[in-house]
Amino acid sequence: MRYLRWLLIPAVVIPLGWLLFTGFGRDPTELTSPLIGQPAPEWRLRNLDGDLVASVDLVGEPYVVNFWASWCIPACVDEHPVLADAYENAGVTVVGMTYQDTVIDAQVFLARYGDAGYEQLFDEHGWVAIDFGVTGPPETYFVDADGIVRAKQFGPLTPELMEEHLATIGVSP
Amino acid sequence: MRWASVVGIGLLAALVAIILLRPAPPATAADRAEALAGGLRCPDCAGLSVADSHTASAVEIRRQIDELLAGGASDAEVREHFTDRYGEWVLLSPSAPAWWVLPFVVVIGGAAALAAWLVRRRTGTSPVASVSAEERRLLHDEAEALDA
Repeated sequence: MRYLRWLLIPAVVIPLGWLLFTGFGRDPTELTSPLIGQPAPEWRLRNLDGDLVASVDLVGEPYVVNFWASWCIPACVDEHPVLADAYENAGVTVVGMTYQDTVIDAQVFLARYGDAGYEQLFDEHGWVAIDFGVTGPPETYFVDADGIVRAKQFGPLTPELMEEHLATIGVSP
Repeated sequence: MRWASVVGIGLLAALVAIILLRPAPPATAADRAEALAGGLRCPDCAGLSVADSHTASAVEIRRQIDELLAGGASDAEVREHFTDRYGEWVLLSPSAPAWWVLPFVVVIGGAAALAAWLVRRRTGTSPVASVSAEERRLLHDEAEALDA
């Protein structure tokens, strides 16, 4: 019976130590998305000019979906040139989705900070934002040619983060 | 004293039974929608439920809850609709109780083990238990002799 008591100590200390170790090793503020590895939500929306655009038109090519808002300052302003650069120089399809915004305010933002020419869609009721699980702009999703979400960026993109995420969908700058 | 603890345990068991077997929650669609919205975190506000918030996202999520319930979805299916998009984060109370129950199980188990150990030590190694009837009689006689 006595040796059982000595077995009890490692039986308690080892699992407790493991729990603490893995617990401290994790960043509790780090957010993940259940969409990663899943098919991207489908959508059909009007762009800021009023024309209908649908996700089915993008089947077979990798693309980037960026949720932004004219009131999202400075984060959306900071990442704006990074998205424009990826569209113009890496040649990846980029789709902008306005988040809780108005058409006029979104157009004013693009006139002020530059319009690279990629589609800007008006998610009036927030349907697409909810389908993607957006909690606040800017958030960006990277979808591969098979239509699977491969990466999600919470917060503003930097050139380094853009390069890292584009690599997950087979796009090199 | 023993009957008092039996009555106490009986009362406790009755209380637990009442809590566990209490009547099912009201099941009208509006009540279910309200309860579901109260259990979902508003995605674009700090620390509020969808039921307590008036942001565009909260309004749209409430509309989707109504739509899903009208389509015949169960409460679990409605919650799953949102956890598929936002993850477990969107639930204000965790769906799997296993992890938050663990500390209570450990504390209660530890207290029980400690109590068992203390009881065993008291009865097992108590010098009183090892005194024979003969020794007891001798001790008694000696004590009386000292008193005299």
